[in-house]
Amino acid sequence: MKSLRPFDRYFEPGTGTLSVIGSGEIGGKAHGLAMMQEIIDRDIASQFAPEIDVNIPTLAVVATDCFDQFLEQNDLFEIAYSDMRDGQLALVFQQAELPALLVGDLRALGEQVHSPLAIRSSSMLEDAMFQPFAGVYSTKMIPNNQPEPDTRFRKLVEAIKFIYASTFFTGAKQYMGATRHTSADEKMAVVIQEVVGVPASDRYYPHVSGVARSYNYYPTGHAKPDQGIVELALGLGKSIVDDGVAWAYSPAFPKSNPPYNSIRDILQHSQLKFWAVNMGPPSEYDPINETEYMARYGLEDAEYDGTLKHIASTYRARDDVMVMGTNERGPRLIDFAPILKLDHIRLNDLLETLVEVCEGVLGSKVEVEFAITLNGDDDDEQLARFGFLQVRPMVVSDAEVDVSLEDLEADNVIVASDSVLGNGVVNSISDVVFVKPGAFSAEVTTRIPPQLEKINGELIAEERPYLLIGFGRWGTSDPSAGIPVEFSQISGAKVIVEATLPNMDFQLSQGSHFFQNVTSFKICYFSIRHWTDHSVDWDWLNSQSPVVDTEFVRHCRLDSPLEIRVDGKHGYGVIRHE
Amino acid sequence: MDNGAFNPFKNAQTQFDAVADQLDLDMGTRDLLRLPQREHHFRIPVRMDDGSVKVFQGFRVQHNDARGPGKGGIRFHPQETIDTVRALAMWMTWKCAVVDIPLGGSKGGVVCDPHNLSAREQEQICRGWVRQICKDVGPIVDVPAPDVMTNAQHMLWMLDEFETLKGARYPGFITGKPVGMGGSLGRKEATGFGVVYTVREALKELGIRPGDTTASVQGFGNVAQHAVQLYQQIGGTVICVSSWDHQDQTSYCFKKDSGIDFDQLLEITDPLGGIDKAQAQDAGYEVLPREAWLEQDVDILIPAALENQITPHNVNKISKKVKLIAEGANGPTTPGADAVITERGLFVIPDFLASAGGVTCSYFEQVQSNMNYYWDKDDVLGKLDLKMTAAFAAVNELAKKRKLKMRDAAYCIAISRVAQACKERGWV
Repeated sequence: MKSLRPFDRYFEPGTGTLSVIGSGEIGGKAHGLAMMQEIIDRDIASQFAPEIDVNIPTLAVVATDCFDQFLEQNDLFEIAYSDMRDGQLALVFQQAELPALLVGDLRALGEQVHSPLAIRSSSMLEDAMFQPFAGVYSTKMIPNNQPEPDTRFRKLVEAIKFIYASTFFTGAKQYMGATRHTSADEKMAVVIQEVVGVPASDRYYPHVSGVARSYNYYPTGHAKPDQGIVELALGLGKSIVDDGVAWAYSPAFPKSNPPYNSIRDILQHSQLKFWAVNMGPPSEYDPINETEYMARYGLEDAEYDGTLKHIASTYRARDDVMVMGTNERGPRLIDFAPILKLDHIRLNDLLETLVEVCEGVLGSKVEVEFAITLNGDDDDEQLARFGFLQVRPMVVSDAEVDVSLEDLEADNVIVASDSVLGNGVVNSISDVVFVKPGAFSAEVTTRIPPQLEKINGELIAEERPYLLIGFGRWGTSDPSAGIPVEFSQISGAKVIVEATLPNMDFQLSQGSHFFQNVTSFKICYFSIRHWTDHSVDWDWLNSQSPVVDTEFVRHCRLDSPLEIRVDGKHGYGVIRHE
Repeated sequence: MDNGAFNPFKNAQTQFDAVADQLDLDMGTRDLLRLPQREHHFRIPVRMDDGSVKVFQGFRVQHNDARGPGKGGIRFHPQETIDTVRALAMWMTWKCAVVDIPLGGSKGGVVCDPHNLSAREQEQICRGWVRQICKDVGPIVDVPAPDVMTNAQHMLWMLDEFETLKGARYPGFITGKPVGMGGSLGRKEATGFGVVYTVREALKELGIRPGDTTASVQGFGNVAQHAVQLYQQIGGTVICVSSWDHQDQTSYCFKKDSGIDFDQLLEITDPLGGIDKAQAQDAGYEVLPREAWLEQDVDILIPAALENQITPHNVNKISKKVKLIAEGANGPTTPGADAVITERGLFVIPDFLASAGGVTCSYFEQVQSNMNYYWDKDDVLGKLDLKMTAAFAAVNELAKKRKLKMRDAAYCIAISRVAQACKERGWV
């Protein structure tokens, strides 16, 4: 692991200083940033200065020895590995004491910093090379603007204990099982990092947050998979990674709009809400809630804050056209046109450079997370600050599999699609778990995850990968758009099918943590649009005798394994029974 | 009182005079600071269990309260003298000032031997002491605490008597109370942890990584135990500790070259810090004579037991490998030995800085008690670390700037702070 300099109780946002508290490991996330720091400072920052100030936001990592000490001195091992509910576990961790050697440093940090901090997990397994642990553990944002240093210190301490507790949440444990790890393999470092953003009204957020990936599983138009994809959103990156709402484009064609049929379609599917750190009156005291100090706001709030100027276009209804910028009145579209089409800042060049450099360093396809603030004064030499938040490797399958359109029409096909994510042949699945079409509706989506979780846990314990079929967008945070399942609740699925319904149409969300896991685990992901020629053979599925049959979910075990083939090059996939 | 015997107060005054010269203090300030502001001598009649009445001598010396209410312990000791109490009260003034807490220095005592007193008799002494002095002590006047042969129970009796006399609840009257009865979390750990906070800072100054160091510790009582515990957490290896053997009425050292197993030693240690010799031998420890802790080839010595332990007679036994001495006990180094240590160029963290974690946490207890709102342990230890680290930094900076010994620099800072407070109040 790359080493950082010891924390000297000096933490100044904006200086890009990376330091470590304690003497243990710094975890995957911090390691990735430490590797990139020198390269960014040496090779990249100068290329874009003074226009864009590129750096890694100031951070201090609480090393894993503090985590070990915390567990040991509070006798938390038994509780940590028990079946205790997440909320209860988090409360027990809140009541425990941090190591004596850590609290002085935290207190010093809390006394001098008055702006928001992100408290992020940086575990040994998370985000490390070829270890797909994205989004398994928690991140907590704290406003850190309370006048009393005691209060700021306490909130920081609470956030760290919450991250520690998240190591042992049910989802994390199941995730471990799916990856053949145990919680005992895991050690948690914690990154305390300045939040890149601007204060506006009683909120704090970046003008732009984004994810750049060097491989695109769903290229559209002329774009190629190897050209990658970038997703941008207003506000904190939670919109992208959890909500799946973002402006997506290929870096090779930054000026192209997403492939929607009309401007109205674009407006309908674009970002309407954004996340920010709540700097206003304290929300309800809830230290075990990840979003305790986060809030979602509407575009009218951003309009009020004056943060849309360089990231939005305006719909001119009388001409049915979009006009770049916000000079006119009318509905706003968060399309980043002033940046991507008018090159207000050289963001696309920067992202292409960064992604290429990161690929070289990690030796694989990569995913980069970032946040940007824009200078209100366009005459200033420096127009933006680019905060490099995270880099992690992507796992991309390269086996040659040919599936033709004829194959999709063959006998014994139970699922066929010309829009499949992934690549490869799977011949080892005899278990099918599906959401019962007759019982499903948008009103019941929140009741489905627990039923899936139970079956998932049993199948993981039996080491039986399975085919999962459901409706709407998997992993969405919007219950009306699909089933709001955590990835850990279906982590044993090797092949996932999502089908649309006339009343539940949706877009895939490639930037989400959920999707990162889908790709990292090399899960084949079938999309079945209700209006296309391909569908699911529900009659055949319903004729199979169930092993488990709940209100919404059925689990069948077949006599012989399914044949599953996915052609990643063309995006065709087919699932056949014997 | 000048009968040739060691007089701690004269010693304290000599020390003060030397620093006053260095600071070039004016005569008025010297006159004020080299003697206590107030002394209370009083008699405490107690009806003993056998029906007789015995009268005990009590003291409270308030050396200086320019920086805030007085703070200092109450000692129960048969050989207690007013000069000991005066010296310790003066020392408390400097100790509070060096860690920059807003308190003055006091000390109290009763000439008695608790070993020969029943619990009821001790309670009567405690209550009698408070009855005699209650007009001149209190949360915003002078705040007592436990000291030699007094404990949390004594403090609770005193608090109860004070509150009865005053007709209200004043948990901030006294510190050293049990947690849950007005005591502070972290108080138990404070002195030992405070020693290690300063050791950590000293090692940074010396450019040595804690993980590369070894230490030998005198004592295995409360202070030593917590110092060992935290020192090991910063990566250091303790290879030797000493402890008092009640049966043999001497102390022994317990050594393991690969490093002691703290939890294992704790299991074979009695509540007073005595390590079971036989079990230690079974566990692979070498059992060595009482002064062996001083002779170990280690980087750090931590005397954390008694006063006058490093003397001109044994100072030359300190290994050439030793680079740092952190005085966790009160006055463990005699002036004669100190001169030799200075000559050798060892880095010394003086007692009233290294061991100030205790009084700092007592101050935190008093603050909490006055608010009747109690902090988490994270809060207490976080604040303690910052106080100790800041105090070390100030002393170290002055020592470097003016090429002083750490001890002299600490005295300079403490005395000048008190002198300044007296001046600003218009006293001198």
